[in-house]
Amino acid sequence: MSHVADYEMVVGLEVHVHLATRSKLFSPAPVHYGGPPNHFVHPIDLGLPGVLPVLNGRVVELALRAALVTHCVVHARSIFARKNYFYPDLPKGYQISQFEDPLATEGWMEIEVEGDSGVAIKRIGITRIHIEEDAGKSIHDSAIAGGGSHVDLNRAGVPLLEIVSEPDLRSPGEAGAYLRKLRQLLRYLGVTGGDLEKGQFRCDANVSLRPRGQSELGTRTELKNLNSFRFVEAAIAAEAERQAGVLDAGGGVSQATMHFDAERGTTRVMRLKEDSDDYRYFPDPDLIPLQIAPEQIEAVRQGLPELPEVRQARFEVEYGLPRSDAVLLSGTRELADFFEAALRGYGGSEGAKPLANWLSRDVRETLAEVDVELDASALEPAAFGRLVRMVVEGRVTAANARPLLTEMVRAGGDPEALVREHDLEAVSDRGFLEETADAVISDHPDMVQQVRAGEDKVLNFLMGQIMKRTQGKANPAAAREVLVKKIRG
Amino acid sequence: MDSFTTVQEQSEALRAGAVSSTELIKTALARAEAYAPLGIFTALRADRALEEARAADVRHGRGEPRSPLDGIPIALKDNLIQEGEPCYCASRILEGFVAPYPGTAAHRLVDAGAIVIGRTNMDEFAMGSSCEHSAFGPVRNPWDPSRTPGGSSGGSAAAVAAGIVPLAIGSDTGGSIRQPASFCGVTGLKPTYGRISRYGLVAFASSLDQIGPLAHDARDCALALEVLAGRDPRDSTSLPHPVPRYRETLDGDPAGLVVGLPRECFEAEGLDAEVLARVQEGVAELEKAGVVVREVSLPHTRYAVATYYLIAPAEASSNLARFDGARYGQRATATSLGEMYRRTRSEGFGTEVKRRILLGTYVLSAGYYDAYYRKAMQVRTLLRRDFEQAFGACDAILLPTAPEVAFRLGERSADPLRMYLSDIFTVSANLAGVPALSVPCGFARGLPVGLQLMGPVLDEVAPLRLADAFQRRTDFHRRRPPEPA
Repeated sequence: MSHVADYEMVVGLEVHVHLATRSKLFSPAPVHYGGPPNHFVHPIDLGLPGVLPVLNGRVVELALRAALVTHCVVHARSIFARKNYFYPDLPKGYQISQFEDPLATEGWMEIEVEGDSGVAIKRIGITRIHIEEDAGKSIHDSAIAGGGSHVDLNRAGVPLLEIVSEPDLRSPGEAGAYLRKLRQLLRYLGVTGGDLEKGQFRCDANVSLRPRGQSELGTRTELKNLNSFRFVEAAIAAEAERQAGVLDAGGGVSQATMHFDAERGTTRVMRLKEDSDDYRYFPDPDLIPLQIAPEQIEAVRQGLPELPEVRQARFEVEYGLPRSDAVLLSGTRELADFFEAALRGYGGSEGAKPLANWLSRDVRETLAEVDVELDASALEPAAFGRLVRMVVEGRVTAANARPLLTEMVRAGGDPEALVREHDLEAVSDRGFLEETADAVISDHPDMVQQVRAGEDKVLNFLMGQIMKRTQGKANPAAAREVLVKKIRG
Repeated sequence: MDSFTTVQEQSEALRAGAVSSTELIKTALARAEAYAPLGIFTALRADRALEEARAADVRHGRGEPRSPLDGIPIALKDNLIQEGEPCYCASRILEGFVAPYPGTAAHRLVDAGAIVIGRTNMDEFAMGSSCEHSAFGPVRNPWDPSRTPGGSSGGSAAAVAAGIVPLAIGSDTGGSIRQPASFCGVTGLKPTYGRISRYGLVAFASSLDQIGPLAHDARDCALALEVLAGRDPRDSTSLPHPVPRYRETLDGDPAGLVVGLPRECFEAEGLDAEVLARVQEGVAELEKAGVVVREVSLPHTRYAVATYYLIAPAEASSNLARFDGARYGQRATATSLGEMYRRTRSEGFGTEVKRRILLGTYVLSAGYYDAYYRKAMQVRTLLRRDFEQAFGACDAILLPTAPEVAFRLGERSADPLRMYLSDIFTVSANLAGVPALSVPCGFARGLPVGLQLMGPVLDEVAPLRLADAFQRRTDFHRRRPPEPA
């Protein structure tokens, strides 16, 4: 058994993010996932003779958001370069990327890490952010007609942002925290869909070990194409374990690209760096330098939405929400926006807590039942806010509100109208509630005795009987008050 | 109608109803047939051209021609994409490729009503100065079929020289329009880099390539430029500046224009004495018309050929990577991916193309990039400054187009370095991005000699005005090669 703990783990991450644009980086073809192969391509994506790339301006806007949120220095002038290599899913024989002069450098992002004295904030350096195009996909599947290898170029030319961190991460957990935070931020800013399964957020990890106290970095290996955060953490841990074994045995780590076998939880050498290609980078003469004016940077900065941690803090202070609710509600921009719109519909900040409760439980469950995402559902935030207010005011019971919520998620609708339509208005009429309570008391004399003896649980049974008699329409608070008064005097 | 007429003359005849487009196209096709042994075309589109001519005749009949080019026969170099037409770049590797999208230059010409009768032969992927490096066999010079028409737009130059079409479109990366124009006795213009969209031009060296016209005279080049030039959103390097009405600037009076003679070029080693004499006679002719002549200096031009042969192959090595057999064109049979690439490219590319890909791959390689490519780009900057400085003292620069007249086929094919030196006077304009044209200025040993005029960036007007004034005073551009036997 090796002794990973004897070493300091040094991890740097390279993240590739698909930018959420309608069309590709250099062509007007739409960005589309899951379509039939080679249907979402333009002559530019196919690398036909005579075509030329034209930069999609939206890409620059999104890239600038990412650069600003990670506190990077945005360069007034960056250069697109060609990275030359042959592969069938690379139609031009080169990838257009940025090399010597990237869009942005020298940024940072803060993550929360578990320290000896609880949770601490750690700043992770961002080395660079640059824009590049994605390649197509090679499919090696004998099941496809004709067998052999096939190429799908739907992905070719999809805009990517490469975000390279400094080797500032010291554990698999830190790497995971960095990735989750980065993904949350970029999704918040609308920079990326961030869907890992669609390959919109991909990660390579550079891992090395060094004896504790040594400042010089050890030889690193690279883990490629890790497609879930759990895999990243497991792969880094496995690779560190492997390197510790090599070092413990007196050996040296070879610079290599590693493959992570998720089933076995081990890493193995995919290829050694000595065999690495010479990509013959040079500035792409088909593209002019990307010039970014200070005013453009300022305009993007002004347009940045409130960031998750700021919003979370505001939810706590402004609405008096507990931290756990604030974290949950600010987790994605869609949910946070929905919550605040619902609160406006509710018509008072006192609705924050009940709305948080409904969103964290009832809404989530209902969305799961209907199998729809919040932003794709028919649920109007303002209408939802009014529904919750009706529950709080006792105008409809929680039990009856739930099926209405389902209906609103499926088809939308106004809660007041729905309550009337289904005749679910809660009854608070004193005379009616007293009649019902009298009937329940005379039906269950034993239970009434137990309540008098102080068994409050039994009171719930009697409440249930009232609800049963009124088909759930009795205002629970009013009914309970009447019942208690009648039994205990 | 005389097939040697210019675009302007044919256009006037069409307007007057003295001739039909159908007749013009039939004559052009007949002459193309008669000149078939010269290897000028890689493909003719007779049926479609005649069909288009009938439509043009209807427009002329209604008195609604689209432009002065409406109904005029033209030819396109085989590296220019025209939608629905083959585009082989005279290479085996593109055999069978039919362009599925419109290229800007061809599209603008067709929109103006011009009728493409065929695609002209060239050096494979525009790499060469003799049209000997073609999968279709060499092009022969109409003035002497044992000689080269120059290259790489030799087919376009020969098509005009032979009176087949009054206008042919070529491309110029290091002299590929001007040197063949010089060798064939026609007028050829390489505009400012970025003046004409490259979308649809199969790239050789992207930072040097520029499309341009070859015609009988400067006026026709000006007309073609008006149609071809202008910003194209599909080409990021195309320039947004408004396009002048070039023809309106051709007043025939160049008096007061200052022409600079770069002393380095007139003293260049290997410059044929008779060529030099014709160029000097041309200078004297312009002086008679009131042009002021002074000496200028372009000190870095002696590095131009070396610089060019680093930058152009470097870009070419990358531009030609897409011809890999995976998606279009020819694919060799093989049992592995590596073998497929090797065999496809080994069999598909000719010797000169391979030589330049190897050269370019080498100069971009890690460890050599700084010494070669980066250094060449620095020299290019110095060269550009030479021109800026020289144009501070003159309106146009005048020099020979080529150091010689058309040489014999086969004479240089074994000596690439000597072949590269044919570009000695032309590559500088590409490296500096300035416009340059070649006009016929006489004959040496019975073969045409060209005189080159360069202007500052975006100033095609000065060289065109000078060329037009020169052609009003001379008739070299009206001389004709012998008719085919």
